[in-house]
Amino acid sequence: MTGGTLAVTAFGAMLALIAIRMPIGLAMLVVGSAGYLMVHPSGLVAYIAYMKTNPYHQFANYTLSVIPLFILMGALAERSGISRALFLAAARMMGHVRGGLAMAVIWACTAFGAICGSSVATTATFGRAALPELLRYRYEGGFAAGTIAVGGTLGILIPPSVILVVYALSTEQNIAKLFKAALIPGLLAAVFYCIVIAIMVRRRPDIAPAVDRATLLAADRGGKSLAVWPAIAVAIIVVGGIYGGIFTPTEGAAAGTIAMLAVGLVQRSLGWEEIVESVKQTAETSGMIFLILLGSEVFNAFLALTHLPDNAAAWVGALGLQPYVIMIALMVFYILLGAVMDELAMMLLTLPVFFPVVMALDFGMPADDVAIWFGILVLIVVGIGLTCPPIGLNVFVISSIAKDIPISSTYRGVLPFVVADVVRLGLVVAFPGLALWLVKLLS
Amino acid sequence: MTDATAGQPRQGPFDRLNSAVAIAGGFLSLGLALMVVVSVVGRALFNMPIEGDFELVKMATAVSVFTFLPYTQIRRGNIMVDTFTTWLPKGAQVAIDAFWDLVYALMLALLTYCFVLGTRDYIRSGETTMMHAILLWPAIATCMALCGLTTLSAIVSMLRLLARRA
Repeated sequence: MTGGTLAVTAFGAMLALIAIRMPIGLAMLVVGSAGYLMVHPSGLVAYIAYMKTNPYHQFANYTLSVIPLFILMGALAERSGISRALFLAAARMMGHVRGGLAMAVIWACTAFGAICGSSVATTATFGRAALPELLRYRYEGGFAAGTIAVGGTLGILIPPSVILVVYALSTEQNIAKLFKAALIPGLLAAVFYCIVIAIMVRRRPDIAPAVDRATLLAADRGGKSLAVWPAIAVAIIVVGGIYGGIFTPTEGAAAGTIAMLAVGLVQRSLGWEEIVESVKQTAETSGMIFLILLGSEVFNAFLALTHLPDNAAAWVGALGLQPYVIMIALMVFYILLGAVMDELAMMLLTLPVFFPVVMALDFGMPADDVAIWFGILVLIVVGIGLTCPPIGLNVFVISSIAKDIPISSTYRGVLPFVVADVVRLGLVVAFPGLALWLVKLLS
Repeated sequence: MTDATAGQPRQGPFDRLNSAVAIAGGFLSLGLALMVVVSVVGRALFNMPIEGDFELVKMATAVSVFTFLPYTQIRRGNIMVDTFTTWLPKGAQVAIDAFWDLVYALMLALLTYCFVLGTRDYIRSGETTMMHAILLWPAIATCMALCGLTTLSAIVSMLRLLARRA
């Protein structure tokens, strides 16, 4: 068997193993190891030499430390009551418009996204803080849950973003540049979601009864919404510091985590128990991510031995297709794969092959720009995959919180937003400037 | 995507050990964050950063990663896809999961063995970090021990699944 055939067979074997319940990280590790042993001329000796130091050196990585830190920052923020304050503040401003409470969720998630790098944490915290409120004002269940599942994706669409960190690690790109590039497409997502909400409530006014202003002001008696200011300060420190080049991403993540902890302690919203719970949640989520990272490292070492990534790039180049046609094909493939697969694993599995393919194409812009732009496109398709049926992680999260809303009605609530996301993806494909303009402005 | 066979919360001594190790790793990350912040403030205000703080960040990150793995396994937090197997009887699903736990244990046992060799190499060479001349082998040996603990976690979680099936 040639290297290329073996690599393709290995992909197939891995997907088959994943389909029969093998944990994804383990499947990558086992298939990668088996492939490595088969392809490398000195087999087991080379494999052991590689594995005896590589797992340590892979994780002894300065940039990698931002993953647990951003997760911890999000976990602390999730328990600090900030999501509730953000929702109350946004509801005060726009809750009286028809569908306004749903829009308030979107903008509160946008703000929360600037202190949280994870979509699951964002979905979970707003599922607890905002969903009961929406239901209390008689918003329809599927619409309310769908809005929060989609709003949760803003956790990764707005920087900081764990997904972008993983993209940066996997393709050796600059995290700060990716964070800058993500901002405009992320804000665009929030605007698009609000437009979708406006259209939905116009067509079906019963899903979002009007709420009068006095009720909303009364709900915020005592100025609970004022608790948003520390959160905004943390966001400015982290994102502003990284954008301004004052911090490395690791320093930004460290400063954000400590600031978040300090805010929680001063406001007395975080006690010892909440801190320990946040740490445990961070351990479990990071452990899951790290097993996938370890598996992908070994799998990619095997892929590199087969030369599949280089050959794929050459093969796609030889097709002589328009670069944009290939990009659109890749995006369609990602949307389909993301619908049925875990997004993190999808990225780590495909990037070693797709990234060189994309970089070998001529989009009429510098290679650095293509790498950043492609990162934002991947981020958008990951966001779609997180909500898109049949396997949308955010929808699962919201369903585990709101047990009496059927998952099918949440998916129905999500679908119009997915359409908006596909439109936005098309816009960023057609106009790379949406991602790249801010990077140029801030450099 | 969630683990349908997730066990009921059982808090034996082994769970408490895994959770204590993970919490220690989490606080190591938090301590790291504090050190980085002190270094940044020192650099900004007094032009006095903590020299070579990145060396400590790197070591501590590797160690904390391996403190998380046993906890994630015992909580069955490693992500898997159950969409295509929901038609199987519950018992068969549990049996499959137990089998993958066994595979994970074997894979980790191999990894632990590689770590033993790696630790031995680093003890012999006495390699240190560049700036602070910290010996590398104690960090690698810690990862080795934690990798061993993860192997045990996989075996324990497998035995629990089998006990539930019986």
